[in-house]
Amino acid sequence: MLRLKLALLNVLRNGRRSFITLLAIQFGVISLILMGGFFASMYEGMREGVIRSQLGHIQIYQQGFNQFGSQQPEEYLIDAEVLQKVTKLVEELEQVELVTPRLNFTGLLTDGSRSLAVVVEGINPEKEALLSSAVKLTAGEDLFEEDTDGALIGDGLFKSLNLSVGASLTLMATTADGSFDARDVTAIGAISTGTREVDNRFMRMNLQHAQELMYTEGVTRLVVLLNDTKHTDEVMALLSEVFQEQGLALELRSWNDLADYYHEVVNLFDGIFFVVQIIVLAIVLLGIVNTMVMAVMERTQEIGTIRAIGGTRGEVMGLFISEAFILGLIGSVLGVIFSILLAQGITAASIMMPTPPGSSQNYPIRIFTEADLLWKNGLFGLLIAVISSIYPAVKASRMVITKALRFA
Amino acid sequence: MAVVKLKGVSRYFPVGNKPITALDKVDLTLERGEFVVLRGASGSGKSTLLNLIGAMDDPNEGEVFIHGKALSSLSDKQKSQLRSHYIGFIFQSFNLIPVLTALENVQYPLSLQRIANNEAKDRAAQALAQVGLADFIHRRPNQLSGGQMQRVAIARALVTKPDIILADEPTANLDSETSKQIMDLLGSLNRETGVTFLFATHHDFVLSRASRILELKDGHIVKDEQLQNLNLVDQIASGEKVG
Repeated sequence: MLRLKLALLNVLRNGRRSFITLLAIQFGVISLILMGGFFASMYEGMREGVIRSQLGHIQIYQQGFNQFGSQQPEEYLIDAEVLQKVTKLVEELEQVELVTPRLNFTGLLTDGSRSLAVVVEGINPEKEALLSSAVKLTAGEDLFEEDTDGALIGDGLFKSLNLSVGASLTLMATTADGSFDARDVTAIGAISTGTREVDNRFMRMNLQHAQELMYTEGVTRLVVLLNDTKHTDEVMALLSEVFQEQGLALELRSWNDLADYYHEVVNLFDGIFFVVQIIVLAIVLLGIVNTMVMAVMERTQEIGTIRAIGGTRGEVMGLFISEAFILGLIGSVLGVIFSILLAQGITAASIMMPTPPGSSQNYPIRIFTEADLLWKNGLFGLLIAVISSIYPAVKASRMVITKALRFA
Repeated sequence: MAVVKLKGVSRYFPVGNKPITALDKVDLTLERGEFVVLRGASGSGKSTLLNLIGAMDDPNEGEVFIHGKALSSLSDKQKSQLRSHYIGFIFQSFNLIPVLTALENVQYPLSLQRIANNEAKDRAAQALAQVGLADFIHRRPNQLSGGQMQRVAIARALVTKPDIILADEPTANLDSETSKQIMDLLGSLNRETGVTFLFATHHDFVLSRASRILELKDGHIVKDEQLQNLNLVDQIASGEKVG
């Protein structure tokens, strides 16, 4: 009890030095929480962006599609009967918000003077409006079921063909039976998926119109949107089981399996975060070691006295480590509190970030303060403080008693 | 059994390329209850002798025994425990911990012995009362006079009930009147508790209170005089109750 009180009094003894040490710990904790919170918000934004613009949470295909579908997509379509059955099964799950079919194929879009290869997506406009909330309309109007020949053109494609809303275009494609056909379409609007490469050669049209062009009643995939991303694995497992029980030859892919670009970005930023952690660690560690060594020097005679009256080396070490623990605890708690306030302030300020590479939309800075991030970095601050005190504490404990007592 | 025994103890310190002899083959025995004054000029080896007896330094030759235990056989931790239980220290500049009150300073050695907080507080308060500071227990060192600080240091040395108290120039930083009061206090504590005292001092007035005078010169004990003016040692030897 008295030994703990002595440690606390020693912390208060030199207010300026303790304040500097606390600042160093807070700097470390705040930097890491803000950066971690910013990265977490970025990851979430990217993840939900790809889920709600292209991927959904889960995609259902005819078995073999992912292995052979790129060569013979017409052979791996889900037929109308299975589509109806699967849609009913999936919609019964409470975690599912909606399920919608898509028919994907490549074609050639021409305005009469120029032709460009495009990736076409036949969709159910009403359901897709809910699923693709991250797809932004940049010109014209949205697609509705009654727009039988309407098409939404990718923003980049819209510009490169120098289109205007209402422009008449012709879409040519190889049909499911291998012949070649064409349909007139009207550009009713331009859309941005958030990914520039996609926007440069992407278009959406009514599923029924796309099926007529392709001479099929089937679809390429069913896209499932869940009410929360965290249910993905659970629903994947449930659907696999249900499909097996029902004898449906289908295969599943989660957003996690499909979002390669997202994983590459996360890996890159995790690497950057690790390097920043090391730099912050070094700065904080050196700052604390420096102030603790000064404290040891100032209290040399006191250390000699403690050793002379029976204090062991461990006792002296324990005293300095206790002081660092107290400083680390106070610094970490204050660091966490200030981080939450700063994160809220920065998020509320809605400062816009420049458009990231490969993206076509800018976004506001948001900083998440999840409990996991807070306690881990708070603990990090505490541990750094304690680790930083080990060298000065060992130095103090190894002092020659007679020399320490003579120190003035 | 002797409280302290030195057999052929030598201590050298390297100064440049040459070793300087601080103590040279010193033999010494201190018995329980002795009030020993250690005299000598600066550099005669007084502090070195106190440091060796206090288990804070190791001799180059010979052996120091405390309560029959050879210090060379003890680890650093065991020496700390020995200092904690058997030896008390009084320093020239008091060496109190400035952030602690008088009571806490005296309590601190007991807390190092892991004695329960309440018991340690009671014993510390008793020790402070014994040195006449019952009304000053909650004062910090900077709120006390030099004499009061030295009394706190004496209480801190006494509180663990050691067998020997080592004091290196305990009155050097005090005025003559306060020095005499402190020496009177130490003399009465010696008689009351039977603890052995070993002082290094320059002050001649201390001699009248000593039961034994040791004089050091160039690392040798050149004078070892037993005085008859205090009969405490004889009382202990004859089994009479002390204090």
